Amino acid sequence: MSQEETKEEEYRTPPEKQPKQPKKSSLKTRMKKHWDKYSLIYIFFVPIMIHFLIFQVFPFAFSFVLTFMDWKIIGDSTFVGFEHWARFFQDDLAHLAIWNTVVFSIYYIIPTMGLGLILALIINSGIRFAGFFKGIFFLPVVTSFVIVAGIWGWMFQGTADGLINMMLGWFGIEQQLFLSDSDQALAVLAGLSILKVSGSTMIYYFAGLQSIPGQLYEAAKIDGANAFRMFWQITFPLLKPIHFYVLIITTISSFQIFDSAFLLTGGGPNNSTTTIVYYLYEQGFTSLNLSYAAVLSYVLFAIVLVISLIQRKFLGKDDNIY
Amino acid sequence: MKNVWYLLIILMLGTLLAACSSEGEGSSGDESEGGSEGDLSGEITVWTMPFSGDSENEEKMWNNMASTFEEEHGVSVNMEQIPWSNRDQKILTALAAGSGPDVFYAIPDQMPQYAEEGMLLELDPYLEGNNMDDFADSAMESVTWDDSTYGLPILQEAYTLFYNLDIVKEIGGDPENLPKNWEEFKALAAKAKENGYYATSFPGGGSMNGALYPWIWQAGGTVLSKDGEVGINSDQSVEAFELINTMYEKEWIPQDSVTAMHHNELWEGGEMLAVTGSGINLQILQKSGEMDFEIAAPLKKEEQATYGTTGMFVVPSNSGNPDAAAEFVKYMTNAENQRTFNELTKYIPTRESAKDIFEDEPKLDKLAGFTEYTKPGVIHPAARDIMSPIQSEVQAMLEGDKSPQEAADAAAEAIEQQVGK
Repeated sequence: MSQEETKEEEYRTPPEKQPKQPKKSSLKTRMKKHWDKYSLIYIFFVPIMIHFLIFQVFPFAFSFVLTFMDWKIIGDSTFVGFEHWARFFQDDLAHLAIWNTVVFSIYYIIPTMGLGLILALIINSGIRFAGFFKGIFFLPVVTSFVIVAGIWGWMFQGTADGLINMMLGWFGIEQQLFLSDSDQALAVLAGLSILKVSGSTMIYYFAGLQSIPGQLYEAAKIDGANAFRMFWQITFPLLKPIHFYVLIITTISSFQIFDSAFLLTGGGPNNSTTTIVYYLYEQGFTSLNLSYAAVLSYVLFAIVLVISLIQRKFLGKDDNIY
Repeated sequence: MKNVWYLLIILMLGTLLAACSSEGEGSSGDESEGGSEGDLSGEITVWTMPFSGDSENEEKMWNNMASTFEEEHGVSVNMEQIPWSNRDQKILTALAAGSGPDVFYAIPDQMPQYAEEGMLLELDPYLEGNNMDDFADSAMESVTWDDSTYGLPILQEAYTLFYNLDIVKEIGGDPENLPKNWEEFKALAAKAKENGYYATSFPGGGSMNGALYPWIWQAGGTVLSKDGEVGINSDQSVEAFELINTMYEKEWIPQDSVTAMHHNELWEGGEMLAVTGSGINLQILQKSGEMDFEIAAPLKKEEQATYGTTGMFVVPSNSGNPDAAAEFVKYMTNAENQRTFNELTKYIPTRESAKDIFEDEPKLDKLAGFTEYTKPGVIHPAARDIMSPIQSEVQAMLEGDKSPQEAADAAAEAIEQQVGK
């Protein structure tokens, strides 16, 4: 599901052709003129377009065709119409997977944004060694997910020897099962993702904070506003475009959550961490049911699309606050 | 503007070249189609996995095998090592794109699924004179589906219990007389718990092949037969569910067994009486040399049984050079090459005549002897589909949501559904 990545590419498309004074010249000379003027754009645009068509548009369209077939890896595929779509509406596990994914996003989106903002405020506050802290906070983002997940899994071991269990023990809290408890596992996985991603949301917020004009704070100071008030009256509202952008990307990534469940819980216990992408992967590559996996991927696409549109309607409109 | 034209031409040429070269790598030996046996030519691509930690020597071994084969048959062989991670994905996508290997490695729960999908070449027409009686029966069982042979086995494994002898002595067990059946095991496990140790590991987040099935087979039960008969909720099978539940309730197995993939830290840290392991564990333990350990025969309740995979090489049905590919599979799995392969990787040869390699290694020899009790998991096209629902039910049982009987019944229902599909 990389529809969003392509947005960037769309921006690179050539600008609208400038309306030129229609001189009476032959088509050939006009084309020549046009080419002389825009050739470089075409040269850069065409390969990207070809790449986009082959690796984005074609798979997207072909997977839609797949949903109506019983697709075989080798050999003849048969047309089955809406059979796979019908199966989706009766598949309890698929519904559970969607529900788990929604719960995961609730655990994940707001904390990621909040933590990213707090970290950005820390490094923007002019403390000493700001660059050092920026590096530390950003470290999980550039570290391999497999390694971060391994460490996380080790920390949250459900036995008495687990690091977090030992620490809880100091406060007299009894031993927890974490990843082996269906009520906790998803939250622990969300914690891992928050740790992994908040470094990059910090960078977005940091950029946003830097772009807020300093005189606003000076004026507020003269009016006698305290730091708390300045944050809620100036900083927070002026970060609105950043909030919107971060909200969209964290929402999308939360719906695509897969690797932590794959690495740490295998979808368990009792399917409590089976997310939609994990289920899709299982269906596709373990059960060789690629057509049904394609249906699930379209369901995911529809969900992400609808949520993004809603968010845009309610949050994205008025960025005329400046 | 001339420069622009040059740039464009260079770009196009580059694209063309890239397209050509990938074409060259992908298609292997298309030109040799129609070649009959004894008249082999062309090229084949073989995907192997890293079977031991010693990738350098493994590569040497494969290249030797390939060059000898090339000398004998005139077929050039490209050996490629594919990492274990996401191998299904890699193989399936390559095969679907028609650029897959001509020979690849498979295990018994993949084979019937792939065969049923029509993805594998039936090898029977090629097997005359291949001394098939030399293969162990338990290995041949794993490469046969619907009375056809779809692969030739190169390695076997036998899982059994490894005991930490320091703990056995400390809790008053007899290292010379380790548990042979469930009753003896339970007695020793209880003692281990009394002394603050875990008795054994239960990787509830791992494959059910090693975690659950051996207990079911030992109790005399079955999971799913070749004919599609579901046995996971029979009285015998439920006893296995009950045993696991008891072990969890009494904390003979660690509290995170519900989703744990392994308990290596606890075992290596000397906090666990026994683990289920195979050749690879033996290798690790012998290499570190820190633990005084012993391997014991698979346990028995009604039947002495354990899990042990059989690794085989198969030929996809869309191979461009099936004759050469089948010949190479025969060649890789002949007695001589099995000796070379298994000596290096410490797996157990599948040909009886190659099993002499462990004469100097008593522990490995002992382990090799247990292959007579091994079962390769469930041999059925749905073997892999049913694993996830079974796992969920076991987890629900361990979490206390279901009784062993209820979990087994629910698992049976899920299996029926998958098989009926």
